[in-house]
Amino acid sequence: MNAQPDMSVDTGAVLSVRNLTKSFGGLRAINDVTFGVAPRHVTALIGPNGAGKTTVFNLMTNLLSKDSGQILFLGRDLAGMSAVKIADMGLIRTFQSARVFPSMTAIENVMVGAHRLARHSGVSQTLWLPAARHEEQRVLARAEEMLELVGLARFKDTHATELPMGAQKLLEVVRALMAQPKLLCLDEPAAGLNDTETQELANLLRAIRTLGIAVLIVEHNMSLVMNVADQVVVIDSGAIIASGTPAAIQTNRQVIEAYLGRENDAAS
Amino acid sequence: MLELLQICIGGLVVGSIYAAIALGFSLVYRVTGAINLSQGGFAIVAAMIGYSLGVSWGWPLWVAIPSAVAATVGIGMTLGAFTFVPALERLSNANALMLTAGLLTMIEGFALVVWGSQPYAMPPFFGEAPLVFGPIRVPTQAFWVIGATGVCVVTLWLLIAKSRLGKGLRACAENPAAASLMGIDVPRMTLLSFGLATLIAAIAGVTVAPTTSLQFDTGRLFTISGFVAAAIGGIASFPGAIIGGLFLGLATQLTTAYISSLFSTAIALLILLVVLILRPSGLVQAGVGKRQDTRDEKATGHVARLPANLALPLAAAVLAAAALVPFVVSDNGILSGFVIAGILFLTLMGLDVLMGYAGQVSLGQAGFMAIGGYTSGYLSINYEIAPLLAIFAGIGVSLACALVLSVVTLRLRGLYLALATLAFGLLVDSCTVGFLDITGGPSGLVGIPPFSVASVEFATPRSMYYVVLALDVIIFLGLSGAMRSGFGRALKAIRSDQMAAAALGINTVRYKLAAFMISVTLASLSGSIYAFFFNFLSPEMVGTGRSLELVAMLIVGGEGTLVGGLSGALLLTLLPTMFQPLAIYKTFASGALLVASFLYLPQGLYGAVVQIAIRLARPSRATASKETASETSARTL
Repeated sequence: MNAQPDMSVDTGAVLSVRNLTKSFGGLRAINDVTFGVAPRHVTALIGPNGAGKTTVFNLMTNLLSKDSGQILFLGRDLAGMSAVKIADMGLIRTFQSARVFPSMTAIENVMVGAHRLARHSGVSQTLWLPAARHEEQRVLARAEEMLELVGLARFKDTHATELPMGAQKLLEVVRALMAQPKLLCLDEPAAGLNDTETQELANLLRAIRTLGIAVLIVEHNMSLVMNVADQVVVIDSGAIIASGTPAAIQTNRQVIEAYLGRENDAAS
Repeated sequence: MLELLQICIGGLVVGSIYAAIALGFSLVYRVTGAINLSQGGFAIVAAMIGYSLGVSWGWPLWVAIPSAVAATVGIGMTLGAFTFVPALERLSNANALMLTAGLLTMIEGFALVVWGSQPYAMPPFFGEAPLVFGPIRVPTQAFWVIGATGVCVVTLWLLIAKSRLGKGLRACAENPAAASLMGIDVPRMTLLSFGLATLIAAIAGVTVAPTTSLQFDTGRLFTISGFVAAAIGGIASFPGAIIGGLFLGLATQLTTAYISSLFSTAIALLILLVVLILRPSGLVQAGVGKRQDTRDEKATGHVARLPANLALPLAAAVLAAAALVPFVVSDNGILSGFVIAGILFLTLMGLDVLMGYAGQVSLGQAGFMAIGGYTSGYLSINYEIAPLLAIFAGIGVSLACALVLSVVTLRLRGLYLALATLAFGLLVDSCTVGFLDITGGPSGLVGIPPFSVASVEFATPRSMYYVVLALDVIIFLGLSGAMRSGFGRALKAIRSDQMAAAALGINTVRYKLAAFMISVTLASLSGSIYAFFFNFLSPEMVGTGRSLELVAMLIVGGEGTLVGGLSGALLLTLLPTMFQPLAIYKTFASGALLVASFLYLPQGLYGAVVQIAIRLARPSRATASKETASETSARTL
């Protein structure tokens, strides 16, 4: 892996963001951002608070509309697509504040994740067709496996909002995994997690990579990022200031300045 | 020209009443984020008490009227303190709205018990002689109405904008959590806003009483007109409330004068629908942030579920009991009660899919019963179409109407959705009363043939009982298949968090539409069966009162369970049938039960039954259930 800023406009990328720009009023929140997510890689998007990381996520899933630039997912332009369509193509995101479905149990939450893969309609469920019931049982079995994988099996029938915060965040990641995404976008999955839970999350992320799923992760927890990311993109004040391997980023002067402030701010 | 001027003055009088009620809506909404539908009810209670004191007891009006207002505010504050305030802390805004719908029903029921169903006319404060300005005659009461509204507006504005109390009220509106951290007593402010709204409604009620005829259920017209005014003007804005009220008053009076009084409600609702489509936040935008984007669901929205090992035996027992009912019950009246409960259960299952699963409140569900019932009744009377075909025709017409309505409702959530459906229900009401040639008007559609399939006629309550039972079982099985699978999960996900659901690829529009169409089909079917069973259909059998009763049945029974509505339907249908002298208390009871369920039985009767069943089963079945649990997990693996 090379350390130079990787523009990733190559066609092999799962996701390529090109010259993305977005202003709120007079403030340019995202300025000419270009990066890519390679297949089977964990790419981390890091930066200080207010750098524009979540805005990039919201632009990707069209929760916000961009001013200019292009977002290609599996080679297709996402411009004008609904959030549902984007999810249907296999780009699944999580939210910064764990958005589990409060009126549903943990297992039901995970099972909802399989929605985009469902082959049998409400009509065949109404008629209790064997095919629909088998599908339902397969989804249940997979959901149970998933909960087992992250150690939440004992919370299976607990209402999602009664889980501790860390468990809720893991639950959201697992729910997204149920959708068998081609690209999994995680918005600060480690926020609110304790050390053990963070460790579990790191293991989960590595397991996800071995499944062949590309991951884009926005994260503050540096040890987690340095631990699991293959590629790190650093964003500050809406612009990319560095990108490369974790090792290269850790020694990058600009990155250190962005986090710790410049020496002799007045002089420079 | 003179006539126009005269009409406009009339419009301003009516409009100021709408404005006053709208002001109350706006006030409560700004402080609590919830809509208080009970206000129109308080207006009527105040007017009725004023009539009793002033006319029946002969008190001088200047004592009777203020006493009536004070008494109403007393009633309102007490009700508010025990229902609205504690409920707000627990319920989502849409549920809080249904709670106030329950309060409205309760107040209407109270008025029915005390004052009966006959209309009352209050004498004007200063006599019948109008003031004459040249060629224009203005009734003296008009000055009272406009004056009282004006005083309310100015006082309220001074209170909110200038006083310390007003600052507290505004803080509650913008962020109740932060307000309570700053030492503001949020429940007290909530109660205060509720009381102030009641006061405004009471003043509006007593001053408008002499210009209109009053009945126990006139209150809901005040409520809906006030809300339409508030929605047109912008629900969070005081100037909006006044502009909306006056505009609505002028529009309805002009329509009544130049087109027909039949269409004055229709015009009001049409204006509302247009505003909701074009400018959902109203004509006047307020600076107060809307809280519509927050999650609708509060964390307490749990649904009781029977464990699988108990569900089957219990279901078998209930079904066996149901099959034996006609052999045990010899009284045809009570058996008819069972049939009606079964027919309403059809609507309730659909309503549960819509409300309990998809979280879409509907306060106008009986409107679709009406469309289905009148269509199939009319077709079978006038064209002798077979009942089965007529039922399908009714469903077709209902679905067509539902598609048109969904153009509006799909854009709306929570409060606005609930009120758009209420408006739809009222629109259907005015059509069933108004289109005499088709519906038979207020006296109803007579001579509907009994239900039959091919040449087999189901004319007795006992035969109909089994028809309805079969329909209930078939539809329940089908819906439970869908609700416990992916379809039901998708609806529940949408109910909890639309954005997160969409991010998982759930097409929220399509699913909400599907839930709506299911509920409309079932309501229409049930309306048709209802008409065939009674051989008769009248507007109040399928009117807005019925819609509110259906919501009460669902909540009392337990929403999100499919089966829960049955217990609500049985309770509210059989009790009045068995204890005929108590029938007059039915409206009051259904409102009171709805409110009480929201407060004390959030999972409904069904939830209570489930909990009892689980507790009873636990000691003896502890080992058995463990076995079944391992069995099920073995099967799924």
